[in-house]
Amino acid sequence: MWQRIKNGLEVRIGLEDLINTKLKNYTVPRNTNIFYTLGGVALVAFIIQAISGFFLLIYYVPHSEHAFRSVQYIMTVAPFGWLFRLMHVVGSNLLVAVIFLHMLSVFFMGSYKKPRELTWIVGWLMLLVTLTFCLSGYLLPWSQLSYWTTTVVTAMPTAFPYVGDYIANLLRGGEFVSGITLNRFFALHVAFLPPLLVGLMVIHVFLIRRIGLSSPPFDESAEEARPWTEYRHVSYPNGNSFYPYFVLKELYMVALYLVVMFFVITFLPTLFLPEASNIPANPLRTPAYIKPQWYFLAPYQMLKLIPNKFLGISMQIALIGTFLLWPFFDTKKERNILKRPLLLATFTASLLLWVVLTMWGRSS
Amino acid sequence: MKRRKFLKSLLALLGSTTLISFAYPLVRFVAPPSRKSEVKRLSLQKNEIPSGEAREVVLNNTPAIIINRPGKGYIALSKVCTHLGCLVEYNKAKGELICPCHAGVFSLDGKVLSGPPPKPLSEFPLRVEGETILIG
Repeated sequence: MWQRIKNGLEVRIGLEDLINTKLKNYTVPRNTNIFYTLGGVALVAFIIQAISGFFLLIYYVPHSEHAFRSVQYIMTVAPFGWLFRLMHVVGSNLLVAVIFLHMLSVFFMGSYKKPRELTWIVGWLMLLVTLTFCLSGYLLPWSQLSYWTTTVVTAMPTAFPYVGDYIANLLRGGEFVSGITLNRFFALHVAFLPPLLVGLMVIHVFLIRRIGLSSPPFDESAEEARPWTEYRHVSYPNGNSFYPYFVLKELYMVALYLVVMFFVITFLPTLFLPEASNIPANPLRTPAYIKPQWYFLAPYQMLKLIPNKFLGISMQIALIGTFLLWPFFDTKKERNILKRPLLLATFTASLLLWVVLTMWGRSS
Repeated sequence: MKRRKFLKSLLALLGSTTLISFAYPLVRFVAPPSRKSEVKRLSLQKNEIPSGEAREVVLNNTPAIIINRPGKGYIALSKVCTHLGCLVEYNKAKGELICPCHAGVFSLDGKVLSGPPPKPLSEFPLRVEGETILIG
């Protein structure tokens, strides 16, 4: 039966040729490490988010009077509703962690350099879209945590003169977060953002395949010395085949990702669901000690420390812009960060600062 | 003008006109709908707010607080923190209004005492007529 299907496909689409040219003969550098698999893990994590999200849509009601109760229903009444909700909640946090790790490793290995500037920029845009996914999804359970986190985030544009208030009102659909905001964020979360992210993913993967995977910079022999003056595809004649070598490596990492996800769901189910996420939204009472998710704690703490709102938010936008366009600022040819003490020091200091601000934001 | 060039220009013109003609309805569609205020004015009895106490109300769609400041009389302030929109809480013991989100602290006059808020809390007009407090 299987052979007949294979033969049928072979005759119609040339299956074997497709597998050979796109998977088996496509080679990756011999010295790739586990960090090379993080992009693939992020892709699988996104697919898990999409599938769990589709199932949540069966019971979720996007209305300010029913949203909280429908989420409680998913968690307590709907058969295995808790599983899909927790997969979605834990998955979103792990997805952000995987993307962070992916970007850190790309930065550390200098893989953003010419000719891969566009790949880096598209990757950054994907991170921003993922964070917008997280923010828009955060409001949907209509809890105290959702409501007030969204209030703070949608108030950020007000730091800018003239257009700030209009943008904030446009996001919220009024002066305050309300049922209209919930509808807008729901539409954003399930209709606008998914095709945008999928589109960026397609461009990202296309660029990787078109340019060719970068090799780790720590092995001199793996790097091509010729300057980039015209397009050429980077290939590794002595490398390992993408399938099965690299695909299996990816699958091991996906398995590890699932282990972490189900460990958190089983043993730490409230890790990403603090008390305020179990209280229905009350637009007339801001709860004490409200904190954003861990990945927003550093910017949150920055906003607390910088006395000027405009300066605080402008600094954050400038930081995002700097990292987004980093390949154009760092034009040195040397990819090995270990041979560039200043860059290594800046990288380590930025990372430490982020960790300190995150811990500070959590404890203050 | 050659036929091919003319057709290209015509297509570009028609295409951009179509796109632009959708811009205005789109902007109008996503613009926030106007919301009528349910309570524009409010009256309370003086004995409802003893000295040092406060009363929370919603005025002009805005959460507000009316405080009877010891020795200084009544004041009606918006509860919306001028930093990023969280609602301030009245701390009676300290005689301050504190924002739980980014630790902004306001005096009972609405002035910024510490933290990141850029400007004072907005104040609603308030007057006392005999035993009645009129706000708004």
